[in-house]
Amino acid sequence: MSEQPPVLDEQVLDALRDSVGGDDAFVADLVATYFAEGAQHMVEMEVAAAAGDAAAIVRPAHSMKSSSAALGAARMSSISRDIEFAGRESRSEGLSASVDEARATWEATIAQLRERGVAK
Amino acid sequence: MSEPVALVVDDSAVNRMLLARHLAAMGISAREAGDGRAALAALQMSSDDVAVVLLDVMMPEMDGYETLAAIKSDESLRQLPVIMISGVDELESVARCIELGAADYLSKPFDPVILAARVRASLADKRLRDLEAAHAAAQAELLQTIERQKAELSRFLSPQVAALVSTPEGEQLLAGHRRQATAVFSDLRGFTAFSDSAEPEEVLGVLREYHAAMGELIVEHGGTLEHFAGDGMMVFFNDPVLQEDHVERAVRMAMAMRERFAILAAGWSKLGFELGLGIGIATGYATLGRIGFEGRYDYGMVGTAVIVASRLSSAAEADQILLNPRTHAAVEALVVAEPVGELQLKGFARPIPAVNVVGYKSPGERVDSAPQLATTAADS
Repeated sequence: MSEQPPVLDEQVLDALRDSVGGDDAFVADLVATYFAEGAQHMVEMEVAAAAGDAAAIVRPAHSMKSSSAALGAARMSSISRDIEFAGRESRSEGLSASVDEARATWEATIAQLRERGVAK
Repeated sequence: MSEPVALVVDDSAVNRMLLARHLAAMGISAREAGDGRAALAALQMSSDDVAVVLLDVMMPEMDGYETLAAIKSDESLRQLPVIMISGVDELESVARCIELGAADYLSKPFDPVILAARVRASLADKRLRDLEAAHAAAQAELLQTIERQKAELSRFLSPQVAALVSTPEGEQLLAGHRRQATAVFSDLRGFTAFSDSAEPEEVLGVLREYHAAMGELIVEHGGTLEHFAGDGMMVFFNDPVLQEDHVERAVRMAMAMRERFAILAAGWSKLGFELGLGIGIATGYATLGRIGFEGRYDYGMVGTAVIVASRLSSAAEADQILLNPRTHAAVEALVVAEPVGELQLKGFARPIPAVNVVGYKSPGERVDSAPQLATTAADS
């Protein structure tokens, strides 16, 4: 993980808001869905990493990557992508460290989205 | 139809929600599935109302490829347009999906304008294909109806006539026209006495045998059966299919009928039924076409020749084939005929000199007049 993208890509978030006609209530719902879905994916990744189960980590990592990208959670998406690929290649070493980093980024993402006022 | 439904297949709930929102803005309602398996289950349960599928390429469990392949290999789902959804790092796989039959693709993050354009194009395409399919089905049904009607008609008419009736020329023919034609009437001698004394089943059995045998000969000689009425029948020639040798065909058919009838009559005779066949043939100008009234039309022939043939058949004794002079003239080279005298026919002021056909002339005798008829006769 050489270059670290920003936790939140403001441009993506703005474009998303524009694309739904500035419907803040909808964006708030979307973020709420992201929080709920992401929290579950985070737990699934942690469980898989603790068990050293590289295959089981692919699914939550992939979904996390995708949802995060949609909301402009660029760093979360990037880390999840790396974890997904590691899982696909059955690389279980270093997986726990990556998931720890994902957890920290997840907390930061939640904080920044709240700070920006898009979360309820 | 109410508003179209799109099936959104993506493992990310955020993406599904976002797509559903964009679709709603276009008046399309969304149904959601988190992976390929759930998508196929949803389609199999209610494929009818789903008009388009938005399918993520990369999904755990059953990915976009597998799902797409399953949709395209299912006869009932094949026509459903599938738009692939892909991340920027998956564009290469999109090409593969298009090859597999995907209609289009969308890249993430979604641009609502492009999304709307691609979904609308796919929906329009689907509507067109549905229309085409409906049109093809209607066409097939129409063809089936025509074929069924032809088959139905061919039970009444000769196959050539049935074929002609379903053409534009056929419609003109039905409207009525005038041409020279030959009418053949036949009925049974001794039938009234027979039907009075025999059991109804026996009467019907005899008629069935008689109709079957005569019907076969009518078709064989290309005659148009106007009707069977109990023991009587009327057949005409040279219409609606033109037959240069219509007089000869009529006489040949009558002679074949007499021959066949003799075999049937021998069998009936053993059962105690004495029946004979009388035939009358007349040729002349007549009006032919649709006769009758709405709901019950016949393809018929109207004219003096019809009446003459009918009267001749009534006047004929068992085994006689009576011809009027004009008919006789046309087949003089072919058959030996004996005069039966001047017949006073009902409804005709002047008596008609009729002849009875005795048999075919031997080849040596068939020379003189009507060279065309002589040739056909020698050929057959």
